[in-house]
Amino acid sequence: MSSFFDKFENIDRRWIYLLSWIFVLFPLIFPLGLPVPINKESQAWFKAINDIPNGSVIVFSPMFGTSGMPELFPMTLATMHQLWSKNVKIIVVSFWAEGPLVFQQLLNQMNPTAAPYNKVYGVDWIDLGYIPGSEPAMRAFGEDMKKAVAKDYKENKNLSEFPIMQNINKASDVSLVISIETGTPGLTEWLRQWQEPFRTPIIVGCIGVSAPGMAPFLQSGQLGALLPGLTSSAEYELLLNRKGLAIAGVDAVSMSHVLVVILVVLGNVGYFVNRGKKK
Amino acid sequence: MSNILRRIEIPIFLTIVATLLQVIPYYVDIPIINDTANTVNLWVLLVVAWATFIGPLSLMQVHGKTVQKRSKGWYFSVVVLVFTVVMSIAGLPIAEIGLGTKNAVYTWLFTYGQTPLSGTMYGIIAFFITSAAYRSFRAKNIEATIVLVAGLAMVMYNAPIFTATWPGFRTIGQWIYDIPNMATNRAVTIGAALGAIALAVRTLMGIERGYLRGGSD
Repeated sequence: MSSFFDKFENIDRRWIYLLSWIFVLFPLIFPLGLPVPINKESQAWFKAINDIPNGSVIVFSPMFGTSGMPELFPMTLATMHQLWSKNVKIIVVSFWAEGPLVFQQLLNQMNPTAAPYNKVYGVDWIDLGYIPGSEPAMRAFGEDMKKAVAKDYKENKNLSEFPIMQNINKASDVSLVISIETGTPGLTEWLRQWQEPFRTPIIVGCIGVSAPGMAPFLQSGQLGALLPGLTSSAEYELLLNRKGLAIAGVDAVSMSHVLVVILVVLGNVGYFVNRGKKK
Repeated sequence: MSNILRRIEIPIFLTIVATLLQVIPYYVDIPIINDTANTVNLWVLLVVAWATFIGPLSLMQVHGKTVQKRSKGWYFSVVVLVFTVVMSIAGLPIAEIGLGTKNAVYTWLFTYGQTPLSGTMYGIIAFFITSAAYRSFRAKNIEATIVLVAGLAMVMYNAPIFTATWPGFRTIGQWIYDIPNMATNRAVTIGAALGAIALAVRTLMGIERGYLRGGSD
């Protein structure tokens, strides 16, 4: 019997890869509908967007590339759905080169001009594309938007031609920054260049591994809300009553975590059985 | 004349001016310095835009040599070179002749090439993380046991299947997240900030020269 357990100490990695593949793929093909409890992070995110006063101007920033899409695209879709369902004016701008292309993929799936949103480009929202220059660019954009960006990304027209930009010149004219991000530039740069000098509130959606590093800024109040990873995105979709990509993927998250726990337990059983034998 | 232009004091002086222009407006409101700093920030946008060309050029140089020497895996470099050229040309911002990021070839390659490939690369990490967790989380001593227990608690905290089964997993994970994690991350953040300040002061004083000619005079 012990020879059975001691094999658990060194399971070939190829078996682990195969099990990972099965545990992730199975719930994606056959959704299990596992329960998803709603926690405070997703509630705070929902409330932060819900509480934006009517007519406010906000900045929405997709600060991630294609590698971040599996984890961040569902929350981007859900957030834009909630924003476009409200009466707020949205300036879309990215300081990540792939940001505008990621946002274009969103536009391929959601049409803001059609029902139920019925938003008008240039009046209700505008896409300014990518501004190169990382942190100094964020500062320059915050100081004078029309100097930092001459033309919009979608129609290539001067910003002053759009009604949405008539009374918007700098970061202090913006009511909220929503940044969906994977790294640098990201939260710390927003804090240094927008939140501290202009007192512009910021909320951030991020990949799960970034969340522990951002938590101190949430507790200090510099960050208004934090939506970390796919699980929180799934909770947010439930709050919106709009099941999407995150709900589809959260079963796979659960099952992959179950596998990790099983393997760690088996590994330790094998380790202790073998240690007992050696003694 | 050329000897004067080669003097190391010139880049140090430029660094000091550029740094002070960013630092002073943060603390003191002097309109002329603020305006100058804003103008310099706009210059940065231009400099970075031009620096973007260095990336593809460097990439082509490295992979060009690999193909030329027929080094191991040279055929992968051919793929890199071909798609770098195709995407660079298709993505040139000349909308009048149909090029740019809205160009059909560029969009197709981005949507059906880069996006799934990047997602796949990111997804592959799951296999390595599972394998690494299995091998590293062993209760070999007190320290390793603490890491094992904390690690498993966070795994369960992040998976709805566990928190829905027993809400205590959420409470335990939240405590680890809010107390030990917060304290450690604060220490790391403050430590890194102090280090950055020290580095900035050394650079401003011309002591730190690692960014100049490899640090030599």
